[in-house]
Amino acid sequence: MAVLLSLSIYPLIYSVTISLQEETSNGIEWGLGNFARLASDNFFWTAMAHTFVYAAAALTLEFLLGLALALLLNRQMRGRGLFRASLLVPMMLPTVVVGVVWRLMLNPNFGAINGTLKQFGIDTESLTWTASPRLAMLSVIAVDVWQWTPFVFLVLLAGLQAIPQEPYEAALIDGSSRWQTFRHVTLPLLKPAILIVLLLRTMDLLRVFDQIFILTEGGPGFATETISLYIYRTAFRFFDFGYAAAMSFVLLALTNVISVIYIRFLSHR
Amino acid sequence: MRLTKFLTLLIVLCFASSTCQRTPHTVHKQLTIAVVSGVEGDALKQAAAAYQAQTGTAMNIAEFPYSNLFEKELIDLKARTGAYDLIMLDDPWFPRFAYEQLMTDLTPLLQKRGQSGPDADFVDASIALCRHPYQTGSLYALPYVGNSQLFFYRKDLFEKYSLKPPATWPDVLTAAKTIHEKETEGANGGRVYGYVMRAAQGNAAVADFMPIFWAFGGEMFDASGKPAVNSPEGIAALEFMLELGKYSPPGYASFNADEVGAHLLQGTAAMSINWPAWISSFSDPSKSKVIGKMEFTTLPKAQKPGQAEIGNWLIAIPRTSRNAAEALEFLVWATTAEQMRASALRGNPPTRKSLFRDKELVAKYPAYPAQLRSLESSRPRPRTPYWNEIENAFGIFLSKANSGALPPAEAMNQANAEIEKILQRAR
Repeated sequence: MAVLLSLSIYPLIYSVTISLQEETSNGIEWGLGNFARLASDNFFWTAMAHTFVYAAAALTLEFLLGLALALLLNRQMRGRGLFRASLLVPMMLPTVVVGVVWRLMLNPNFGAINGTLKQFGIDTESLTWTASPRLAMLSVIAVDVWQWTPFVFLVLLAGLQAIPQEPYEAALIDGSSRWQTFRHVTLPLLKPAILIVLLLRTMDLLRVFDQIFILTEGGPGFATETISLYIYRTAFRFFDFGYAAAMSFVLLALTNVISVIYIRFLSHR
Repeated sequence: MRLTKFLTLLIVLCFASSTCQRTPHTVHKQLTIAVVSGVEGDALKQAAAAYQAQTGTAMNIAEFPYSNLFEKELIDLKARTGAYDLIMLDDPWFPRFAYEQLMTDLTPLLQKRGQSGPDADFVDASIALCRHPYQTGSLYALPYVGNSQLFFYRKDLFEKYSLKPPATWPDVLTAAKTIHEKETEGANGGRVYGYVMRAAQGNAAVADFMPIFWAFGGEMFDASGKPAVNSPEGIAALEFMLELGKYSPPGYASFNADEVGAHLLQGTAAMSINWPAWISSFSDPSKSKVIGKMEFTTLPKAQKPGQAEIGNWLIAIPRTSRNAAEALEFLVWATTAEQMRASALRGNPPTRKSLFRDKELVAKYPAYPAQLRSLESSRPRPRTPYWNEIENAFGIFLSKANSGALPPAEAMNQANAEIEKILQRAR
């Protein structure tokens, strides 16, 4: 209890108090100044928008790919074990390593990706990946999809294997098509696994930091700056802990709202 | 009850005797110093080891990468833990530390040693950075590494195409265009790019832009202290940067020092603004494909004289240090001409005029005369405690313009508005 109190409760209360303090030339002022400042901070809203675009795109792709792979590998086929094992490798790597490796591969001049494309005679002059305002967001999303689809796959596969055989036999007897079976048998029974995987991934994606920090540091310009990066910069570069705490609470509130929506939506139908 | 008293007494006695035994008879002096990892910090670490051997003072080193050093030091100094007796700091951080009154005024300590201030051998531009307010105020640090930007160019290609040495920015543009168009079969089968720069947001873009900005007559702030980056001169400077960008390798809007260094060392780019720390790698056969082909000079001019950005490493004594007098002894010792010479031989540009003119050092580092000229005429980044925030905002818009996300005038207008907001909050 004492550990919990000192490591979790005290910092929480402390961060609430500093979010209500603003350092001005007249000393520290109490109030909602930090939260009011959010409204006029273009960087904050842009970073928020980037975070949601990033999270939505990565989550959709990871979920669809993960589900497809899980359905594919839920059947008996040759080399299934090997295939499964190799799919898990990206997830085993530390995010920092993934970031550094992809940063090298995406380098427009010396990187492996443009090098390979050149071999096929593709003009790579405009494919500057992390340096292009249009491709940078796609690049960081692709890296996340590469690393975390296996996790989605793993959880969904476990969910699929836990579904008993009987409902399928019943559906077969009723003469339902493969799509109908999937829609009315597999999906409803897979719901708990889907809920868990979506919740975990959403929370992770909304607070993404390390791989973007390594891949682009939020650039070029501000093109891939997510809210966590902006909070980090505000706290540890500008030393404005009050404002950083205020932003963290807004992020926390939003994450909570999303989680509640998920749980409502997926568990009550 | 008696038993409790007896036990308490026993425990107290036990503690007392054990602490008595542990108290050393001779007190060894001890200093803890926060250094940056890399060549600048390595030289200071070696100096600390030599000092320990010479004086018996135990020197503890706390080493941090550049990206963490500022936050570690600032957190520690603000929390008043007194963990460090000496700190290395990059000069743009100095106004923040000075503004928050976190460093020891060195003058009274120097006076106690019989000195009135720093000696006249230090480069004026370097000492000016150590004073708060800039140039005129009290002395809070001593300069240790005398970096300032230089202009790097491929003299072999300039000779090949009979180009004028890069004395003005228009000369640079002409040369970049010529080399870019003619050297299509470069070192690695690809072309040689005419120019290469770092335009990643933050420090990188700002550092590579400032010399152009100043030469074109731009100023961060006007006479009344208001931000003025979107002046006609400022916008013209950014337009010029984008012109140069046409001859830079694709993706330069995300380049940092490493990418620029790699292009120059591989011979795939012909010109750049860069820092002296890179010079020695050009004569290292394991890294360089352009041995003997690089020339280093002062920054080109335009409407105004060319000025380099200064980037010195300073050493200061935190106010929370409990060993300030001892720390000053080390600081004075480490910045003597003799010790700084040793540091120079380890690869760090000095901050003393006599060493830039030292025959042996000039033989080893032929760019020293150019470095001294660059350093003496250099300019600091604006001395404001909010520089980190301002640089971040400015860098974002410079990088946006260079990546094509915003037109130059728009980028400068938005940058100006953001800088204005930062200053307003500070007021």
